[in-house]
Amino acid sequence: MGVFVFLPLILPLTALPIARLAEHHLHPRNAVRLLTWISVIMAVCSTLCLGLLFVVGTAQIPGNPLPDNWSDPEVRAAVPFHEEVGTAAVIVLVTVLTTCSTTLRRHLRIRVRAQHALEFVPRDTDLAVLPDENPYAYAVPGTPGRIVVSTGMIDSLAADERRALIAHERSHLANHHHRYLMATRLASCVNPFLRPLQQAVAYSTERWADEEAAHVVGDRRVTARAVARAALVSRHLPAPGFAAFAAPGPVPRRVAALLNPEVLPETWPPAHSPAGLAAMVAAAGTAASALSALNAAVALLLVLKAATPL
Amino acid sequence: MDEDRGSLIGHPRKRGQGELESQVLEVLRSAPGPVTASWVQQRLSGELAYTTVMTILSRLLVKQAVSRSRSGRVYLWLAASDAAGFTAIRMRKLLDTEADRGAALASFVSALLPEDEQLLRALLDGAADGRER
Repeated sequence: MGVFVFLPLILPLTALPIARLAEHHLHPRNAVRLLTWISVIMAVCSTLCLGLLFVVGTAQIPGNPLPDNWSDPEVRAAVPFHEEVGTAAVIVLVTVLTTCSTTLRRHLRIRVRAQHALEFVPRDTDLAVLPDENPYAYAVPGTPGRIVVSTGMIDSLAADERRALIAHERSHLANHHHRYLMATRLASCVNPFLRPLQQAVAYSTERWADEEAAHVVGDRRVTARAVARAALVSRHLPAPGFAAFAAPGPVPRRVAALLNPEVLPETWPPAHSPAGLAAMVAAAGTAASALSALNAAVALLLVLKAATPL
Repeated sequence: MDEDRGSLIGHPRKRGQGELESQVLEVLRSAPGPVTASWVQQRLSGELAYTTVMTILSRLLVKQAVSRSRSGRVYLWLAASDAAGFTAIRMRKLLDTEADRGAALASFVSALLPEDEQLLRALLDGAADGRER
């Protein structure tokens, strides 16, 4: 298997240019789906390779429960620098699994707490307007999904802007944006090189919801104003754990995008355009990552099988 | 309802349904938070049966004057007028405590930069101009 076992750990570096280009040139819906798939596949390949190196790494530890033959010299020879790499893989894999479970637990805890907080809101409506002068608006995923808006936020928006805000949050719930966000967040825990993809997906889900809100309201300017105003009134609020209406930072880009004409959702961008190039780089990077992970897995399995007397 | 009438027979003054409902609602509003039906029953003057209190609460629920939530095997009841404020406090607590934690939450949303604010105001002005035209 040789050095190919390291490729899936490094290849997610191609994620940075992919994220930038997809975010700028693809329709947000396509960008979210493409980037989420890429980051999940790369994360799985990366974990698989870590797992393979882990097997080689633990073979050195005396008294491990794995078959003795797995620490044969020929198994070790399959991985370059097996001692250092094996030890590092054990540490990294344990860290990765811990971080993932912490992230997942925190996410679930926040969801449960939010649903618990909303238990006295009547079930026949998805919108809860709460008397709080701090301006905020969240989509709380669950069954049923809820939209929470404070009176502070409602009061600072005009009637048509409120409609845009609520349409934006409904879009988050209807399109299950929290799943994409969670998948890419876990992927970037697995391999930090995938973090640009997570940020691009977070931005693109907001753009996706903005576009749907603009369709519902029928006015891109009103939606742009709603986003800008909401961001300006809530700029001092602490960072939320849900898809927020006014995620600051990328907000000016969202507003500018809404003030520009709509990007039509093409099925696939032309190959000579930057978007097409990005898509091809993405496809190549993902395919190479998957192939080398598969290659490494098969190679190690063959070596282990040869080393294990049946 | 028959069971209501049954429990009320023998009382010095026969109370109307509306009166009972407003009494129950008053007790609920005086409650420190969500309470059980037996908590309501104990605080009502007069000896209403538990089933009567439940019936009145269910009727108030249909009228959306109260809301309820299941907690284990019993329901907790809250006056609808208090529900929004109660929920707002819980939500506030959630936002305040969870925001302090971890890089996972912080990385999700970054702060609005000072230049962002300038840019946003300029964009807002532009959008407003475009609308008047």
